[in-house]
Amino acid sequence: MTLKADGVRPLVSMREITKKFGGVTALENVDLDAYAGEVLAIVGDNGAGKSTLIKVLTGVYQPTSGSITLDGAPLSMGSHSDAIAVGIDAVYQTLALADHLDPAANMFLGSELTKSFLGFKFLDNKRMRMEAERVLFERLGVRLKSMSVGTESLSGGQRQAVAIARAVYHADLRVLVMDEPTAALGPQETARTLTLIKTLRQQGLAIILISHSLDDVFAVSDRIQVMRRGRRAGVVQTASSSQQEVLGMIVGADAAAA
Amino acid sequence: MTTTTNNPPVSAQKSINERFEPYLSIIAPLSMILMVLAFMAIMEPARYFRLSNLEIILLEAALYMPMAMAMTFVITLRGIDLSIGSVAALSGIVMAFLIKQFGVSAEIAILIAIAFGALLGLINGLVITKLRVPDLIGTLAMDLVYRGFALVLAKGLVLARFPEIVTEIGRGQLSWFLPIPVLIGLTVMIIGYFALRRTWLGRYTIAIGSNPEAAEMTGIAVDRYKIYAYTLMGAMAALAGVMLTGKLNAIQATSAPYFNLHTIAAVVVGGTALFGGRASMLGSFAGVILLSMMINALVTLRIEFFWQSVASGVVIIASVALYTWLLTKDRDGAGGLLGSLSTPEGQKTLRFIGVIAITLAALLALGFALTGDPSPSG
Repeated sequence: MTLKADGVRPLVSMREITKKFGGVTALENVDLDAYAGEVLAIVGDNGAGKSTLIKVLTGVYQPTSGSITLDGAPLSMGSHSDAIAVGIDAVYQTLALADHLDPAANMFLGSELTKSFLGFKFLDNKRMRMEAERVLFERLGVRLKSMSVGTESLSGGQRQAVAIARAVYHADLRVLVMDEPTAALGPQETARTLTLIKTLRQQGLAIILISHSLDDVFAVSDRIQVMRRGRRAGVVQTASSSQQEVLGMIVGADAAAA
Repeated sequence: MTTTTNNPPVSAQKSINERFEPYLSIIAPLSMILMVLAFMAIMEPARYFRLSNLEIILLEAALYMPMAMAMTFVITLRGIDLSIGSVAALSGIVMAFLIKQFGVSAEIAILIAIAFGALLGLINGLVITKLRVPDLIGTLAMDLVYRGFALVLAKGLVLARFPEIVTEIGRGQLSWFLPIPVLIGLTVMIIGYFALRRTWLGRYTIAIGSNPEAAEMTGIAVDRYKIYAYTLMGAMAALAGVMLTGKLNAIQATSAPYFNLHTIAAVVVGGTALFGGRASMLGSFAGVILLSMMINALVTLRIEFFWQSVASGVVIIASVALYTWLLTKDRDGAGGLLGSLSTPEGQKTLRFIGVIAITLAALLALGFALTGDPSPSG
């Protein structure tokens, strides 16, 4: 089933995932394997089940049936925070930034660093700023012009970097899901985001990229999983495939490719 | 998000905007303060620029400082509290009754009043978060409730003559220049300044106001922090009620009628956005001083007290409109107010304004053409 033949165990694998919403079957017996140090792209038409699949993976939805294993151990998640606790996090298209707060405040939102003063705990803005600067530079190679302005005044790519930095700050992050990271970006910003993805892949993360842009998918991914009508239409190695072939699988014109 | 443009003046203007944006909340009230100063320097310099008058301005401002501090939090998380005038009056009356009817010591009665105000604020917060009543309607209705209780308790009575500690809080003087209420107000504002930057309350208040969905997703207890903000607001309104009681050495059920709009005006003119997320404690402080100066100027010019209400309203509209305009990122192709009126849609609005004006003028003309003997009401 898996296309990686060299005996490497997938970091995370989903087996026969089915998700029903009432009478509607959003996913039917879908498998997914993601390896450390690899970018897996998920493509498919609207309503093909991409979002549902990653929401199951990130604990937002619970599957109707099927199993998920992380590093060979079975995984059951009741919520998104369970997923974060085991090292699976997602960066959404909306980025979920509070744009009036500076990058550091956003990165640490909900898990602020503190220091004690007269027995009271106060936010340690200075340390958060230094940490944020360090993570942005060391993990993502990004240096922001100013760390003290709200993220609203940053460019789309820089805001993306802040959102990614928030996910990778947790030292035990192992799987990063990126939902349409380039959808709202211009060509330059897109190129920068793709570079970020490659940087993270080198650091050994398993990256799952959801995108509508086949150009981006072919530029950065190692394997492509095609979804169609709630099923896995097929998985291809990016290097030995073509946009034509993948497009055929998305629309279902070339059944032989699956 | 940003538009690319080849028009150099526009981009130059944008960079100026960007440079001034962080300081906007302090520049706007400061420039208005300067305008008031300049105006008064021409109109009534002798009576306005006196040390005793400065003290009056500060005393008036001090009353609003605690409320402006708390209102900065409430407005930043996209809320609003219209009930603070009633909370202040009711808390003041509760304190008065405790001292006068039950012989509770004044120190404890003051603390009870503030805690009682916190409870009223907590109720506001619960109404908004648990009963899901929108802030505006919720606090407006609670304003009626609290004012009603104040009237029930005090009837038409004016409760007056309080122990020294109450009047000290309201108008006392330290041996040096600074009046005690000003000291209280400044302390509260400084605490608020640090709370906004250095505590979870401040951080989450901004996050919630900036992006409620993101705040929720990050695991922030949105409702709980809203309740905290409204509770703080209630406590600070009660503190203002105690200060007012001390200042006048009297309290009645109808006291503090315009606390809500006056405080909102001060906070909004200070650059805290009604749309949430943008907070400025320093701006709120400058806003309080500005409003106090304006009202003092009206008094100095011997203009009727009732114009205060007009002034507060105009300040709110003017500052919200100004900030909205200043913070509009993309101003390309829009010719401002005149430009928006010259579009077909604007033409229709203009015609509508014309119809209303002509109808009113015609009715007035008709009324005066058919006048009989005036019938005085009493």
